[in-house]
Amino acid sequence: MVMALRTVTRKSGSKLLPRFSPAALLHSHATSFGFKEVREEEKSRMVGNVFSNVASNYDLMNDVMSAGLHRLWKDRLVSKLNPFPGMKHLDVAGGTGDVAFRILDSVNSIRRRAMQDVLEDDIQEETKIYVCDINPNMLNVGKKRALERGIGEDKSLLWVEGDAEALSFGDNTMDGYTIAFGIRNVTHIEKVLSEAYRVLKHGGRFLCLELSHVDIPVFKEFYDFYSFSVIPALGELVAGDRKSYQYLVESIRRFPPQEKFASMIADAGFQQVEYENLVGGVVAIHSGLKV
Amino acid sequence: MYGSTAKRLLQHFGAPLVSSSGTHMIRFRPLQSLVSRSHFSTTVNSEPFANEPPSFANSTSSYADEFPNISNSSSSTADHTRRSRVEYQDEQARVLQASLPHVIRLGWSEAAMIAGAKDIGVSASIVGSFPRKEGMLVEFFMDDCLQRLIDRIESSPDELKSLIPSDRITKLIRIRLEMQSPYISKWPQALSIQAQPVNVPTSFKQRAMLVDEIWHGAGDDTADFQWYVKRTVLGGIYSTTEIYMLTDNSPDFRDTWAFLDDRVKDAFDLKKTIQEATYLAEAVGAGMGTSLQGFVKRVFQG
Repeated sequence: MVMALRTVTRKSGSKLLPRFSPAALLHSHATSFGFKEVREEEKSRMVGNVFSNVASNYDLMNDVMSAGLHRLWKDRLVSKLNPFPGMKHLDVAGGTGDVAFRILDSVNSIRRRAMQDVLEDDIQEETKIYVCDINPNMLNVGKKRALERGIGEDKSLLWVEGDAEALSFGDNTMDGYTIAFGIRNVTHIEKVLSEAYRVLKHGGRFLCLELSHVDIPVFKEFYDFYSFSVIPALGELVAGDRKSYQYLVESIRRFPPQEKFASMIADAGFQQVEYENLVGGVVAIHSGLKV
Repeated sequence: MYGSTAKRLLQHFGAPLVSSSGTHMIRFRPLQSLVSRSHFSTTVNSEPFANEPPSFANSTSSYADEFPNISNSSSSTADHTRRSRVEYQDEQARVLQASLPHVIRLGWSEAAMIAGAKDIGVSASIVGSFPRKEGMLVEFFMDDCLQRLIDRIESSPDELKSLIPSDRITKLIRIRLEMQSPYISKWPQALSIQAQPVNVPTSFKQRAMLVDEIWHGAGDDTADFQWYVKRTVLGGIYSTTEIYMLTDNSPDFRDTWAFLDDRVKDAFDLKKTIQEATYLAEAVGAGMGTSLQGFVKRVFQG
């Protein structure tokens, strides 16, 4: 949902929301903030303010649209991943850090620590969770949230700016790869999948959490009504932005259905490709194994 | 031979894929259509990796022969995936095999599997891809032991032929239980894992196969109702001996073998069995008789 809005603002640029196009703002070294002229030092602060406002709306919109369920979906994603100490994990399009925080919590949990040998504490140090996002502002929001949670200084959490279609990581370096609500908005899904395959180690797992297709008869009608009538109205009400949320629900419909997406994952070279529908297909978690 | 037939039966009629409430899992195979491949794929998961990699490769290559005309999206990926089709199950089997030495120290747990994966240079994320984690480790071990038992039976048939049936049974059970003795300190955990509802179908099936194999090794060829009786009885003997072994501290498990001998002799001692059955019938009859008498009296008096 977050990525949707970002993509929309980038695509429609200044037409839609002149002030809320962070990419345009960043690329210009000029000291323009929308229609205003400001000093350079102030600009980053003002951008920060703007994005904080918008970002906080995104989280609120996520909560409102999914009735808080998106938290459970992310929990399920991380439990399927089964993180372990010493893991090298890459979370793509995970700007605000939701999934990364959960993985870190899981690895550091008391229960897990209780199971470990004392000698293995140094392995704990080697855990590295990379949060990769194409948009540096979202990364900054994530860093801020990490500070608020008290894990800002944690050496295990690393924020990297990068493009999912051309990752800067080496081959066979990652134990796990997740992408939550991001793959719907990339330009070339196949490229992202092949990059994911490239960076994963032998035995590594790919997991993707994404809004998907509902086929259950009665529920489908209700979901369509909710998507096309309720969500854009909520977008208007809460975030002041109907068109972006209209785009969001349309893009969900345009994304390949579960089976097709699973075949794309298999084509990238993954084995044991499976998917799990949550809430009857509103959300699906696809997983694959690299051998 | 029967053993290999049993293996093939297991491959064809493996336990169904369990789907938890509210979710829907599908195993996806790009080459073959879901319908034709589905039962193979489900068994691949619950079927334990008793087959050594070469035999597994042989059996799947026979599957590939069976489906030569499958249409697929691109021939290059087809070749790649057909060649590497067996790989992920093989990798999982290798990880489980490498985890067994760690079980003694870490128990039948994820920690052992993670250590095993690290040993062979596979990312420990693969542990997340096992649907039932510890359950699969125990099942792998059970199948490994069964396979070793079968090999042992087939490699030295004369050894058994020279014994009377009850001794054959005793020897076979003893051989099988001795395979568990290195893990005996953690075996109670394995039993509790096997007793979990999600693991029960597979563990029950494995034990049924084990008991069947032991009877077959002892030269049994009944084809009537007795087949069930014999297997049930042997199942009981095996389970009780297994549990006795958990608390046996005698050197080399001497007491367990003595216990086993007694149980097998009891089961084979027909006269004693008939006598016990008679006593039981008398006791039941007496109990029922007096209560029936009392009931009738009360009815006609009241």
